[in-house]
Amino acid sequence: MATVDVCTPTKGRLFTTKTAGGRMPLTPSPKTSNYQPTPPSIHSTPTFAQALSRSGVRKSAKSNIARDSPRRLELGLSDWTLTGTGTPSKPRSTQAGVSTATQSSRPRPKSSVRIAYNAADRFIPNRSASEAISNAGTAKLDTTTPKRRPRSAQDGSAVLSSSAATAGLSLNDRTADDEDDDKNYSKPSPNTVAYESSIANACGVSLNTRILAFKPAPPESSKPIDLRSQYNRPLKPANALSAQLRRRILTSPERVLDAPNIVDDYYLNLLDWSCNNQVAIGLGQSVYVWSADSGTVSPLIEDIPETYISSLKWSGDGAYVSVGLGSGEVQIWDVEEGTKLRSMFGHDSRVSAMSWNKHTLTTGSRTGALHSHDVRIAQHHTNTLTAHTGEVCGLEWRQDGAQLASGGNDNLVCIWDSRALNTPKFQKTNHNAAVKALAWCPWQLNLLATGGGSHDRHIHFWNSTSGARVNSIDTGSQVTSLRWSTQYKELASTSGFPDNSISIWSYPSLVKNIEIPAHESRVLHSCLSPDGQTLATAAADESLKFWKVFEKKAGSGSSSAAAGVSKKVDGMAAARTIR
Amino acid sequence: MSAEKEKSKTHKLSLKGSSKIVAEFFEYSINTILFQRGVYPAEDFTAVKKYGLNMLVSSDDQVKAYIKKIMSQLNKWMLGGKISKLVVVITNKDTGEHVERWQFDVQIFGKNSKSKSSRRSGDKENAAPDATEPAPEKTEQEIQNEIQSIFRQITASVTFLPMLDGNCTFNVLVYADADSDVPIEWGDSDAKEIKNGEKVQLRSFSTSNHRVDTLVSYRLGE
Repeated sequence: MATVDVCTPTKGRLFTTKTAGGRMPLTPSPKTSNYQPTPPSIHSTPTFAQALSRSGVRKSAKSNIARDSPRRLELGLSDWTLTGTGTPSKPRSTQAGVSTATQSSRPRPKSSVRIAYNAADRFIPNRSASEAISNAGTAKLDTTTPKRRPRSAQDGSAVLSSSAATAGLSLNDRTADDEDDDKNYSKPSPNTVAYESSIANACGVSLNTRILAFKPAPPESSKPIDLRSQYNRPLKPANALSAQLRRRILTSPERVLDAPNIVDDYYLNLLDWSCNNQVAIGLGQSVYVWSADSGTVSPLIEDIPETYISSLKWSGDGAYVSVGLGSGEVQIWDVEEGTKLRSMFGHDSRVSAMSWNKHTLTTGSRTGALHSHDVRIAQHHTNTLTAHTGEVCGLEWRQDGAQLASGGNDNLVCIWDSRALNTPKFQKTNHNAAVKALAWCPWQLNLLATGGGSHDRHIHFWNSTSGARVNSIDTGSQVTSLRWSTQYKELASTSGFPDNSISIWSYPSLVKNIEIPAHESRVLHSCLSPDGQTLATAAADESLKFWKVFEKKAGSGSSSAAAGVSKKVDGMAAARTIR
Repeated sequence: MSAEKEKSKTHKLSLKGSSKIVAEFFEYSINTILFQRGVYPAEDFTAVKKYGLNMLVSSDDQVKAYIKKIMSQLNKWMLGGKISKLVVVITNKDTGEHVERWQFDVQIFGKNSKSKSSRRSGDKENAAPDATEPAPEKTEQEIQNEIQSIFRQITASVTFLPMLDGNCTFNVLVYADADSDVPIEWGDSDAKEIKNGEKVQLRSFSTSNHRVDTLVSYRLGE
């Protein structure tokens, strides 16, 4: 009878019914319909072996010999890598065990059967019901994932090895055994598999597939969307720039020049770019002029004795440079000729800031005095503007010459009316540090931006008609200069510690568009090219860098820029260093 | 005779070419859905001529990069024949509720039924002879036309789909074979099904190796 059963081990249904009788809690009942016939390759021998084994069990049932013997088998057969005897519980009543064993041994898959064949002559292993169950689980697994098959063979062998000892187990003991096997082979217990697959079947999901989600969060939409307006939107969006036209700011310098011996002094103003596209820079005791058109450098003043250059400024027509000296002297030079036209005296300490308004040159000195000079006449000193008590380090005429803004080391910002220079029109005390950075807005005449020093870090925006402060930005670092773009509604600020960066701000939204780490030490001076596209910055790291931060869009040809744009670009390409 | 043979050769697509068409279709589908369903502002999209239509693709750098990352992995899976579904889920940002689900079912003709080895389907060699449904030969133009009509349908579907309030985001899901290689950006997920959703089956298209069905499910308005 036994042989008949063994000969048809592959019938899943048969197996279920059998097992259902004895060990209901263990059997993965819903799954067994999936049970696949294993190829009955070596049928006749197993039956024989099993017959043998069963008879053997009785003899060796409680013996420890049984446990030793599989070890020896391992030595002989290298592919039996897993011993997995685990913790087989001690055999109890031999008689009872035999009866269950006979039942359970029938549906044995081929793998374990093969082992029985090998083992038969050594000792007679009795397959406990537990093996049958665990094998049932693995066999089912095999049908879904074929590559596991070799595993189950090992499984079988392991189970087998323990089988002699577990011959007469009660049901509970078998469960324990099962779990033990699972641990050893890191395979889901039949219960789990059955559960998973039954759940999967119920949900109509295949265990063969996984649902994968792309985990990174998608980018935020740039603005809220109303689909209603999208369905009947105008052909061309009125105000919003499409993403591809959105402005990108170049963050690497277009050109870097050496600026050796530049004086690291916040209060001086040593860099200016003329409307003829020439850059003048004061380096120690010398002034050099770099022509952006040709890229050539020409010394204008070399090694002025016993003093140093403290400020310089191009006249409005780009023909002359006014130079302020540490001695208080102001000189005016004709750049083309390379000759000094005149010297103007009057200040008794260094001239650190100056600004042209047509033929009027206004200079500010360390004492806080502001002098207005008419450079055409011999008696050049026309006005003295007194308000500051500290060194004047920022001085800027409005484009139309109607107002003058001055900032000083006394933390004061003054706005002067050109028709009444005796007293300032407004005095602003909002800054908490020296005010060097001053800039008049090119598209709104009465808008003035001022930036404070390292203790202040703010940029304030003023209405120069009413004197009201209209906006403020906390930049987080010393503001060393401010430049409005002529192309965009934007403002560039340069800063000192800690970032030594150039920041571009949108106005009036005051959004920081970009911050470019520009120099290795604080940016001292900046100026804009006549075409408004390039910002030049000079820093204490003795370099002069050119940044095309306000690059014009191709095609958007608002030709507000001065002449020589294209020439300048050529010149940039051919330019060389200042030294 | 030989000329005819020559002709059929040129129009026959290899599995590789077929995967490329399907992957490209996915990319345009994602873009179209993002545009049509207002996940991103309309200004962020530019029109591109494709499938004989003006397809709108995102020109926002971040979105472009995001989709590119998805597509690069998708291409690999497609070539390996690992994918059975691609799903674009639109989720309400505030409530986290899934409001719309676009599902693209991929059938690979070479793929055997589950009982047989599923791994073999990745083999290019096996694909053609094993084909359970021998695909009728199609010219590229016919395939393009089929895809075109799907996009026309997707575009037209905004008329019956419920209004989205605009504050939405999206996720991409993939139903892949269990043995696929999964890069770190991808993780297991639930199906993100829509509860009590209405389903509308849209058109399909097929190449010599793939068939793609389109299905949109959406939440019914209360």
